[in-house]
Amino acid sequence: MNKILVTTLAISATALMSAAPATAQGKTLTISWWGFNGEKLESIVLAPFREQCGCEIVFETGNNGERLNKLQIRNGAGVDVAYFSDSFSQQGIEAGLFQKIDPARIPNLDGIYDLAKDPQGGYGPAYTIGRVGIVYDETKVTPPITSWNDLWREDLAASLSLPGITTTAGPMVVMKAGDHAGVDAFADEDAAFAAIGELKPNVVKNYNTGSEMINLFSTGEVSVAVAQDFTLGQIQAAVPSVKWADLAEGSIATLNTVNIPTGAAEPDLAYEFINFILSKDIQQQLAEQGVDAPVNTAVDLTPEQAALWTYGADLIAGLQRIDYAKMNAAKGGWVDRWNEIFGM
Amino acid sequence: MKRFAGWPLAAPATLLVVVFLVLPVLATIWTTFTTPSGPFATYLSFFGSSFRRTVLLRTIQVSLVTTAIALVIGFLTAYVISRAPGWLKSTLIIAAVFPLLTGVVVRSFAWLIILGKNGILNTTLLNLGLIGEPLSMLYTQGAVIVAMVYLFVPLMILTLVGVLESIPDDLIQASSSLGATPRATFMQVTLPLAVPGLIVGAVLVFTGSFTSYATPQLLGGEQVMMMGTLMYQQAMVTFDWVAASTIAAVMVVITIAIVALMNAMARRLNPMTV
Repeated sequence: MNKILVTTLAISATALMSAAPATAQGKTLTISWWGFNGEKLESIVLAPFREQCGCEIVFETGNNGERLNKLQIRNGAGVDVAYFSDSFSQQGIEAGLFQKIDPARIPNLDGIYDLAKDPQGGYGPAYTIGRVGIVYDETKVTPPITSWNDLWREDLAASLSLPGITTTAGPMVVMKAGDHAGVDAFADEDAAFAAIGELKPNVVKNYNTGSEMINLFSTGEVSVAVAQDFTLGQIQAAVPSVKWADLAEGSIATLNTVNIPTGAAEPDLAYEFINFILSKDIQQQLAEQGVDAPVNTAVDLTPEQAALWTYGADLIAGLQRIDYAKMNAAKGGWVDRWNEIFGM
Repeated sequence: MKRFAGWPLAAPATLLVVVFLVLPVLATIWTTFTTPSGPFATYLSFFGSSFRRTVLLRTIQVSLVTTAIALVIGFLTAYVISRAPGWLKSTLIIAAVFPLLTGVVVRSFAWLIILGKNGILNTTLLNLGLIGEPLSMLYTQGAVIVAMVYLFVPLMILTLVGVLESIPDDLIQASSSLGATPRATFMQVTLPLAVPGLIVGAVLVFTGSFTSYATPQLLGGEQVMMMGTLMYQQAMVTFDWVAASTIAAVMVVITIAIVALMNAMARRLNPMTV
């Protein structure tokens, strides 16, 4: 009996000793992000960072709204680094969920576009720049789409997918509808939503995630969509004839930011991670592999690689910017009005 | 005194149910009455919105239609299974419950493949020359109902097979020998005795349909928004937890009302039911 007890204690002690170094050296970094392109992010970002920091990495995945909501419920705790599109990180900033960033702790900030260094007044930098524009299947849509106003074309009946109003790009559709009606959507919501109503016959379904929109293309349900450019590579993998529309009015800029929540348990690791993903090497690989557009100015892409992305100073200068504080203030009412058009 | 003999034994389970199931629901509903705007402000806001009323009526309609179709399909299937010989009965039951082995999302996604423009159904109809161009079947109320019937029919079948098996053959034979037609036997013997199973099945299907989220989201989207998807939007996107709680409270009350109505109908069909 004693022998069994001693053996058991010995095994337990050994197990505890082998676990002890893991808890002492192995800190855990918790990242909140979408989960999109997971395999590529694992090989390009996570595996080398684990090797660098000797830490464990765990995730919280989901869309912007879900993750921001969880963070809010936990008062900014439970996550060390949070990836959000800028409209949602702006909401997080306004809710007091993110801490101010110390730029001195992120040396790689010096190597990124000015636009990405501090887009929201002292909070997280942007790690990628994107565009919201129109994608269409050129074998099914003639003539080609060259303007936001083309969304209202009669030949596009029952062939369009819009981003849901609760997504990053959804409220931008309202703004474009305002432009189509010749008004500022913030100043004259009625006219903007009347234009959205005119758009309804063309809409098959509004999507809430990038993968949902890709499915709509691959199953032949839609041939046109308002989309963010990070989905283009995957759409073209499913339907090669889909292309990014060259719009006369230009596309809309979107920035994805990385922020450190106020309740981050491992802020030092968070700074190390943010600096890591802004490095030239990681940004180059992410761009080459079709994951994210680079913000590091030293990244060099071939014309084929760059075709997917918001890449280069000239293109970035031509993008339209959104006042997210203004948009977020209007969003609540817009959601209801949008629902009344598409949900009735 | 004897009436209370079982209470100590039931107390732990009752306590668990109250603490982990009843209290959270009551707490959720309580928040809707404690807003600064007044105790009923959120409900006035909910029922004052034509959009929300539409979503509520659509949800009730879709759930009732789903329940009615599932009742018919489930009853006929269960009747056949209950009358089948042993080996065939086992095979049919396995076939009927096979879909339950996969998740709701997978089963809903299957209908995307079947009903899509490039899907199995459209391809078949095109190949047969019955249609000139693909039909738009997805993202409609019909698509949501079809998928939900598929989701819940196995539950209905499982509920009814046991009930129908328990009806003694002697009763059916006695009814026939006394001159009842097969229709009269069914209406006056089989159906009344199956009512408890029908009610349990209907309640399961109705509550499942009424509270469903994944299927309406995948096959309906914003165009066929239902209470579950609306509640998700309010809670997880617009961060309006009070509005989401109001929707939850409305769903609880409607569910209880519909279940009570079903029980009342059951008592009319068979006074011996509970």
